[in-house]
Amino acid sequence: MPEKTPQPGARDKLAFLLALTPYLLDHEHVTVRETARHFGVPESQVREAVRLIAVSGVPGETSFYQHEDLFDIDWDAFEEHDEIAVTNRVAIDEAPRFSGKEAAALIAGLQYLSSLPEIADRAAVGSLLAKLQRGSSAQPSPVAVQSQDPDATLALLRRAAAEGRRVEFDYVGGRGQLEHRSVDPLRVESADATWYLRGWDHSREAVRTFRLDRIGEARLSEEASTHRAAEVALPETLFTATDDDLFVTIDVDPSALPLLADYLPEGTTTEGENGRRRATVRVSHHAGLKRLIASMPGLATVVSPAEARDAVAEWARAGLDRYREAGE
Amino acid sequence: MAVAQQRVPVEERLFSLVLALLATEIGLTKSEILSTVQGYRQRYVAEGDNANLERQFERDKDDLRELGVPIETLDSPGQAGNNQQLRYRIPRGSYELPLDVRFTPEETTLLNLAGRVWREGSLSTESRRALLKLRSLGVDPDEPLLGYAPRVRVRDAAFEPAATAIERRQIISFPYLKPGERQAQLRLVKPLALIAHEGRWHLFAEQVEGGETRTFLLRRIVGPIKATGKTFVPPPGDQSQRGLDELEEIWRSRVAVVDADPGTDAAMRLANRRGTVRDDGRLTVHYADLAILADELTGYGPEVRVVSPPELVSAVQQRLERIVADHGGADA
Repeated sequence: MPEKTPQPGARDKLAFLLALTPYLLDHEHVTVRETARHFGVPESQVREAVRLIAVSGVPGETSFYQHEDLFDIDWDAFEEHDEIAVTNRVAIDEAPRFSGKEAAALIAGLQYLSSLPEIADRAAVGSLLAKLQRGSSAQPSPVAVQSQDPDATLALLRRAAAEGRRVEFDYVGGRGQLEHRSVDPLRVESADATWYLRGWDHSREAVRTFRLDRIGEARLSEEASTHRAAEVALPETLFTATDDDLFVTIDVDPSALPLLADYLPEGTTTEGENGRRRATVRVSHHAGLKRLIASMPGLATVVSPAEARDAVAEWARAGLDRYREAGE
Repeated sequence: MAVAQQRVPVEERLFSLVLALLATEIGLTKSEILSTVQGYRQRYVAEGDNANLERQFERDKDDLRELGVPIETLDSPGQAGNNQQLRYRIPRGSYELPLDVRFTPEETTLLNLAGRVWREGSLSTESRRALLKLRSLGVDPDEPLLGYAPRVRVRDAAFEPAATAIERRQIISFPYLKPGERQAQLRLVKPLALIAHEGRWHLFAEQVEGGETRTFLLRRIVGPIKATGKTFVPPPGDQSQRGLDELEEIWRSRVAVVDADPGTDAAMRLANRRGTVRDDGRLTVHYADLAILADELTGYGPEVRVVSPPELVSAVQQRLERIVADHGGADA
């Protein structure tokens, strides 16, 4: 997936030089193109780094950076064939260790992913974590994500993708109704604690996004899938705006704005009442909105339209009725 | 090779510093570094004032440490305690990835995925650099069968200042708003670890007064985290694991019973929650924080009815009443 990478600063450029040098020492006559592909950077960045490495070195016994104290490359191969061959090496032999914070970021990332079937082999993951610990230059920083048990639905989705079969499941749609779905799994995505399946929905004849915690009774279908990840262009955002979307104006406590980030793609708010922020969210129907607003009591209030406001009030009133009818 | 007199780029100076410090066994003194290493030597004034250059060297050392490059200082022989004669070096064994730390294509795939989890903030910078070092080893990851796009957004404003305070071992204070209270209370703590539990970030810390440990939900830190100027020595052991264990114990011990109508969003999602036990429409769920569970259950409206504990029943009822009142509905 294409991602925006910020313009590298000096620190990032140094990190690249320290990673690239041992790679070049291990790969005699590697092309600029292959190196750029491997590191996931533009070819121009590789060429710039190679030119710098090729004239760098140590002060040496004379303190004047004599020729033998410098890296050198096969300049003809580089200039004429875009190939890199280091012909003289100094000081650096091996890849650098991870910093304590870098190791911690990877370890916490692995912990976050622990419900994936790929991470189900706990012994293998344990040995990987131990290697990260041994491979860092300082104790990994104390950042941790609670580990999850392997998820049965995720395991099933992976098997379906491997065998080229559809999955079938019960799904509670946004309006709250239970439906049966038959889907070709394309990609699994997550946003914090919530996991989603994006797949080709055979009843809708379109790509749809499903929350994993709304999926029940999932099983492998006998039918072959007709859509594969490589052939379907998935939109970058989980939820796509449609012309049928409803616009609802709400007042939100500033502390709750992050909870609404998914509904405020532009993130623009204006001054509301009582120190609150006023925002316009787009939703596909009021049924989804009433759940969202009701889960933020005291933090968000629908201002307009009246229909949306009433839907929220009615939802909560029906909730209260449950306690009255029970006679408590 | 001719010495270029024009300005040396920052990354060239830093790279040259690493090479020089790696190549030396006995270490280099500061004046040796400033007078001979590429990027410094061009600006070095023999027998003159090099105060600016010395400050530059201090900042450069911080940059290297930030990237995990270990810098060792040694006393010069017979000059113990003489700061001007301290010798600097990068011990090769602490700099290089040990030879037994190599990763298979499967492991490389997992680490690539783990590094892509973080999409913003310091964790994303750190993981991007970690993946760069991983690529240095030349192993290409396997293409996964099913594409994954994991994404964690650290949206709590308190995360970065808390992480910095933990790293610097600073005693900190911050205003903390407990649910149900109108006024935030100022807390004074020794920060030990940052922990994500059930999708929310917590600070695990030791209270200065009393000395017991507590977990603070980051989103309830409602004002700036301030360093007090005092530092502390963290207790030995894995503090993040300790914090996780404490939270997990709280989560295990708290149990709510709710009735959820079969086939509804509430029934499906509560049943899919970790640790839930289902007995027809009656669900037993675990929770770490009553206020957060009450918010979630309120969102389900008429699809659920809380059975126990009584304080959860009243918390949900109060929230539903609040929603009705806020939305202009008279509760008849």
